[in-house]
Amino acid sequence: MDSTPRALRWLSAVTGVLFLIALGMVLFYAPEEAVMGNVQRVFYFHVAAGWVGALAFLVTALAGIAFLVGSDPKWDRVAQASVEVGIVFTFINIVSGSIWARPIWNTWWTWDPRLVTATVMELIYLAYVMLRQGIEDPERRARFGSVYGIVGFISVPITFLSIRLLRTIHPVVIGSNDPSAQGAFDMTPAMLQTFMFSLLTFTFVYATLLWHRLRLQNLMERVEQMKMKVFAS
Amino acid sequence: MPMLLEPAQTTNYMILGLSVIVGSMLLFVGSLALRFRNLRQDLQVLEEVEQNDSQE
Repeated sequence: MDSTPRALRWLSAVTGVLFLIALGMVLFYAPEEAVMGNVQRVFYFHVAAGWVGALAFLVTALAGIAFLVGSDPKWDRVAQASVEVGIVFTFINIVSGSIWARPIWNTWWTWDPRLVTATVMELIYLAYVMLRQGIEDPERRARFGSVYGIVGFISVPITFLSIRLLRTIHPVVIGSNDPSAQGAFDMTPAMLQTFMFSLLTFTFVYATLLWHRLRLQNLMERVEQMKMKVFAS
Repeated sequence: MPMLLEPAQTTNYMILGLSVIVGSMLLFVGSLALRFRNLRQDLQVLEEVEQNDSQE
């Protein structure tokens, strides 16, 4: 029953290979940063994880709009699957940033606008998951999830723009840095190639995990329907 | 002559950071696999119960 589609198997294999290549580039191809040393290598996957988080929450918002327009439950399932992937990668982004910050800023955590907005964004989507579980009626739950996913998405551009509009010590990768930024660096061509490849790889990772998570969601719904059928008879 | 500075010795933090990233991803993949397995078992049991009910 429900064997993994051939396309998903191929996508998973390609993603695995891409990830190993990206890890190899991070460790052996990109040069050691002149001031920060090897910890700077965390940056490639740190930013890529942040990108996946933002992309996942964007997909959640778009799926929410699609559900509200057409009332097709499949879009609610997409939103749920995407939120979970987004939460995992935003967590990776926050924790890896904290590990980078320890030797560079001399602290695991500081109340910098980027750190605060990213954490608030994570909490908003954790609340999405918890609040959904409190609603019994599937139709109401899906409607609530859609509206929440759309409104909650406001936190994503706020997080992205926080280091561009507010005074911060967080470095800006694309664009000019605040004079008070600590840990900013100029990328060599090899660093830029590794960075771009990591972004591409993590986009594949997102697509693969979303598809697997969506299949899980479909199976969950099938089990729920089966339970109702068995208990009713 | 200008003094050349060595990069900071931060290899341990790099290992920690990359381990957390890869480890978290593997944990998520593992949780997906585990949930799939449990749901398939649930479905199998429910299908058996339904079959038994229809035979009675």
